[in-house]
Amino acid sequence: MVSLEKIAPQQTNGRAKIEIKNLNFYYGESKALKNISLQLPERSVTAFIGPSGCGKSTLLRVLNRIYELYPKQRAEGEVLVDGQNILDRSQDLNLLRTKVGMVFQKPTPFPMSIYDNIAFGIKLYENLNKTDMDERVEAALRRAALWNEVKDKLSASGLSLSGGQQQRLCIARTVAVKPEIILLDEPASALDPLSTAKIEELIDELRADYTIVIVTHNMQQAARVSRQTAFMYLGELVEFDETAKIFTSPQEKRTQDYVTGRFG
Amino acid sequence: MSTIYPRRKALNGIMMTLCVVAAAIGLAWLGLILGALLYNGVAGLNIAVFTEMTPPPGQAGGLLNALAGSLVITVIAVILGTPVGILAGTYMAEYGRFSKLTTVVRFINDILLSAPSIIVGLFIYELVVRPMGHFSAYAGAFALAVLVIPVVVRTTEDMLNLVPNALREAGSAIGAPRWIVIRSVAYRAAMSGIVTGVLLAVARISGETAPLLFTALNNQFWSSNLNAPMASLPVTIFQFALSPYKEWQQLAWTGALIITLTVLGLSIIARSLTGRREG
Amino acid sequence: MTLVLTEQRADTRREKVVKRFALTDTIFAGISRAAAILVLVILGGVAVSLVVGSWEALSKFGFGFLTTESWNPVTENFGALAPIYGTIVTSGIAILIAVPIGIGIAIFLTELCPRPLRRPIGIAIELLAGIPSIIYGIWGLFIFAPFVQTTIQPFVIDAFKDIPVLSSLFAGPPYGIGVLTSAMILAIMVLPFVTSITKDVFDTVPAVLKESAYGIGCTTWEVIGRIIIPYTRVGIMGGVMLGLGRALGETMAVTFVIGNAHRISASLFAPGTTISATIANEFTEADGDLYTSSLISLGLILFFITLIILAAARYMLMRIGRKEGV
Repeated sequence: MVSLEKIAPQQTNGRAKIEIKNLNFYYGESKALKNISLQLPERSVTAFIGPSGCGKSTLLRVLNRIYELYPKQRAEGEVLVDGQNILDRSQDLNLLRTKVGMVFQKPTPFPMSIYDNIAFGIKLYENLNKTDMDERVEAALRRAALWNEVKDKLSASGLSLSGGQQQRLCIARTVAVKPEIILLDEPASALDPLSTAKIEELIDELRADYTIVIVTHNMQQAARVSRQTAFMYLGELVEFDETAKIFTSPQEKRTQDYVTGRFG
Repeated sequence: MSTIYPRRKALNGIMMTLCVVAAAIGLAWLGLILGALLYNGVAGLNIAVFTEMTPPPGQAGGLLNALAGSLVITVIAVILGTPVGILAGTYMAEYGRFSKLTTVVRFINDILLSAPSIIVGLFIYELVVRPMGHFSAYAGAFALAVLVIPVVVRTTEDMLNLVPNALREAGSAIGAPRWIVIRSVAYRAAMSGIVTGVLLAVARISGETAPLLFTALNNQFWSSNLNAPMASLPVTIFQFALSPYKEWQQLAWTGALIITLTVLGLSIIARSLTGRREG
Repeated sequence: MTLVLTEQRADTRREKVVKRFALTDTIFAGISRAAAILVLVILGGVAVSLVVGSWEALSKFGFGFLTTESWNPVTENFGALAPIYGTIVTSGIAILIAVPIGIGIAIFLTELCPRPLRRPIGIAIELLAGIPSIIYGIWGLFIFAPFVQTTIQPFVIDAFKDIPVLSSLFAGPPYGIGVLTSAMILAIMVLPFVTSITKDVFDTVPAVLKESAYGIGCTTWEVIGRIIIPYTRVGIMGGVMLGLGRALGETMAVTFVIGNAHRISASLFAPGTTISATIANEFTEADGDLYTSSLISLGLILFFITLIILAAARYMLMRIGRKEGV
């Protein structure tokens, strides 16, 4: 069991930022998500948990439609972000992704300098002069708690950083383009415990300004960082509730079995 | 029982010895060829080779016009062939990664990769030389460009396929359109591999003779007119080596040494580029 | 109020940028797709241009072009039999020599060679593939052919002179240049291809398979002969076909040492010709459209032979590639 003191109290204004309605997802012929409906509140951290293959990452990848990079993957149903259906054909994907940022399981620094890693995304949509750009880069790196470690080597390659630093660089890169939603796909699973703790601290600081969705297979992590938790199993949403409730008094037998470690 | 095992062991010994002999034969050939090339080529290596024109029969001279011609034709061929090769490779690894067209193009490209180069010469003869009515450096460059394309296509596709998908997803995830992800992320990550491909293509074409024979033809003199026949090192070697004149044969050996050193140098540089990548 | 205005401005600018992105993306995708299609067009163009160029000769000589040995520019009577025969015989012998040696080297490199020497020796063998064919030609003409003429040929002719079939196979004055010399040089050129592909397909054999064979007491040779080679048979065949494709189309090395004689001789020591050598030697000097067209017809025949061989090679290598993927 997870100790209750670790569960962070969180405040939200309760408005739903993301509304998922009757979502089905297919890899070719096989159905990976079955009729998911879910409301994610604004400026709050929601965790998706469940055994591997349950569809939690798939659900996350629907929220910025990154699955569109591959053929034969398709989503049916509605995903409303601020009331607009992002699954609509007319939705511009690049625009969607500036609004819904994503951080991946393995750190993915671009093969360029630390500075350029951050500036890359900003330059896409904004014409800034040198001073403004420097400020934005610094602000993003400060936000990701990386500034003090890299301020003297901004022109060094992003690949020269340690794994934990690389992951924070990726978070800084995501924050730099001013998204409203941040998707985290097992962001700490490739990191050591110390780096993991730093990432979790960071998530805690970011939740005041962003709507955050995190996929994790680490239940303690879900308990530590999230306010709501969705438990998924075999492509279905089994239970969605306050994190505290999911971990202490789940309604469903399957949820209880999973959080108490009886399977998964 | 007692005789079977020694027999098996003896057979193993014999076969393994033969394999060592095979490797020795391979290395010996390389040694013999490079040795002969150095011995005969160095004898004629002097400053005149690089400063004087190809001589008439029976006289001393150099290879300047042939060297310059080879350089010009090769450069034009690379300029023409590389963009096509990189773009086609990009389509296959990026936009068209999952399409049927890619499978077909890959198959055809692999065939072009090992197709006889003399056939390419005939193709350009029919396509360029015959309609224009005369041989030209352009035609030679076109023929070599056709040889550059499959090499560059192959390495570009292979190298882009090595770029992890996570990196592409990360690029798309911050709102970059596909072509910017390709240009700023995928190309950058695959850069040394793509450069290697271009170097290998240059190495391949700088020794090619057959496709130049009836496209660029040859020229005894200095020519800067791309619309006229132009000398090239391989064709000059071909002509000089088969001649009965001692001076010409010596120049052919020296030219052969220059080509070989260039080609081997290029492939060693290309190898070290990718080698560092792996390390 | 001002905040709302700047936000609106930012939104409209974003939309403009997004439209531009969509356009440039479409253009870039279109251009790269066109480049990929160009690869297909080139191969198609080669086929079409060769058919067009050879039309005159083929319509005049018909099917007989393939079966006529005579090649006479004076009477303008052309037949492709001698070059086709020369091409097939030289390449066939080259493969017979190169395959056992090439596979032997691959076995040496994967199973026997001490680790520190593996890379340098492997690179040395690959360098053989990098040497331009004209270098093989000049080396063959000035170094190898005289050696064959003074050392190998007199000895072989003498040794076989009383044996029925072999005496005619290795008959005649020792010219040095000729069919067998060409085949031997081709063998050296093809060797690195066979070695490198054999090495690659050997690597696709699962380690557990080898280990279990060693586990029941097989010798190295037994593991290679009973496990590795049967497992990789298709891939090795692909490598051999690829080498054959190379040998069939190889031009310059052969042109130097084949002797360019349009006739079919029983003796492997006699001069002959191949398709590519004929084209290389005669094309620029060919006067008359029929002569040129006949040479292009030779090119067309070579194109089709190599196309089939190379397609078969690629198909086999694709099959072993898929096996590896599983």
